[in-house]
Amino acid sequence: MTPSLTTDGPVRLRGERAAIIWGTIATVLVVVSTIGVFLVAPEDADQGIIQRIFYFHVAIAIASLVAYGVACVAGILYLRTRDRRWDDACEASIRIGLLFSVLVVITGSIWAKASWGTWWVWTDPRLVTYLIVVLIYVAYFVLRSSAEDDRKMRYSAIYAIAGFASVPLSFYSVRVAESFVHPVVFTGGGANMPTSMLTWFIMAQAAMVALFIALLEVDLLGRRSERALHMLTIRLERG
Amino acid sequence: MRRRQLIALVRKDLRLELRTRETIVAMVLFAIVMMVILQFGFGTRDDDLTRFVGGLMWVTLAFTAVLGVGRSYVAEREQRVLDGLLVAPVPRMVMLAAKAIAILIYMVAVEVVVIPLVGIFFVQGPYWGAIGWIAITALLADICIALAGTLFSGLALFTRARDLILPVLFLPALVPVVIAAAGATHAVAGGPHDMSEWRGYCLFLLGYAILFALVSIATYDAVFDD
Repeated sequence: MTPSLTTDGPVRLRGERAAIIWGTIATVLVVVSTIGVFLVAPEDADQGIIQRIFYFHVAIAIASLVAYGVACVAGILYLRTRDRRWDDACEASIRIGLLFSVLVVITGSIWAKASWGTWWVWTDPRLVTYLIVVLIYVAYFVLRSSAEDDRKMRYSAIYAIAGFASVPLSFYSVRVAESFVHPVVFTGGGANMPTSMLTWFIMAQAAMVALFIALLEVDLLGRRSERALHMLTIRLERG
Repeated sequence: MRRRQLIALVRKDLRLELRTRETIVAMVLFAIVMMVILQFGFGTRDDDLTRFVGGLMWVTLAFTAVLGVGRSYVAEREQRVLDGLLVAPVPRMVMLAAKAIAILIYMVAVEVVVIPLVGIFFVQGPYWGAIGWIAITALLADICIALAGTLFSGLALFTRARDLILPVLFLPALVPVVIAAAGATHAVAGGPHDMSEWRGYCLFLLGYAILFALVSIATYDAVFDD
């Protein structure tokens, strides 16, 4: 949407209010969950303080999967409608998802160092396959930078769909290889933790998903602003 | 009608390969050189690499697959065959299936040479008794490679620096295939002979193939939507 030139007040763009609302929700949830995780949640009897990283490690991992899921849906919608706003949503989601995935690998690595005494454990397929997911989505940007216009958006959308197909493979790999080292937080029988921990885990999860939505809204708002500015410049130059 | 189109397209690729013998010969030579490099790369100078048989075979075959998949669209691009195909009343799905079958045949042709060579040169363990299980693993992995390879080589076809783009796109997607195929090969020929582990990895490969078949069917129309 392009802003009107005749308004006297500040130019408002669609999505500005959503960005503010989600930004506020995300900030509150991140602050509350950080306090809860470090000061209120009970300490794990076996692992001690390092277990607390799991609240964020798992929450960020799930939030990154949400981001890739949103990117996949946006990719499908782009292919159906050829509306570039879906391409924007797809790229922004993958960018945020990739950031979250890198954080997952880093927090997982910190946990590995504290628990197993080494920064990286190749025998843990889930951590390794998460690294592969990062590599897959880094390639998204390589592909994007080497194609133009319509092809760029089309290929990106297809790749976002194909990339998301690799995500369940990442999850399944842990079951195939029967890893004995990676703790599985959620099993078919439900959550593998007491209620006092689960409450803060859910809070941390909500915070990370809200953070994703807030970052997505801000990213999309930035793109709309750039386009609106571009349109205004063109109109002003034409007089 | 579609079957005839499919057969015609696969025959086109195979006839071209039989006349030029460019791709499969290069793939086989590449695979042999790769295995020799890996033998020295392990740094063991050991006659028996039974423990590494899965990795040795599937790292070699994965890189060989990248080479083959990269060559698979050369005629379409350089000789402008694709222009003719796109204006012909051939469904994209038939094009996808034909290219996947051609890549599958390339891979099987390479493996007919490579898999026995692994047994002759590198493995002292119970390799030949497990050759049937290895063949089934290879066929499943080849289907995965062919499906993912067709989709990604289609995407890389009109990009800048496509020779670089294809491995960057294709290899990360191949890692789960290499994990499963190497695991399955190791399970039957690497010492433990664990059939339940082999079955698990093969089911994983089957799942991968089904998933990528669905993704390819859903998106391939858009790849050549120019």
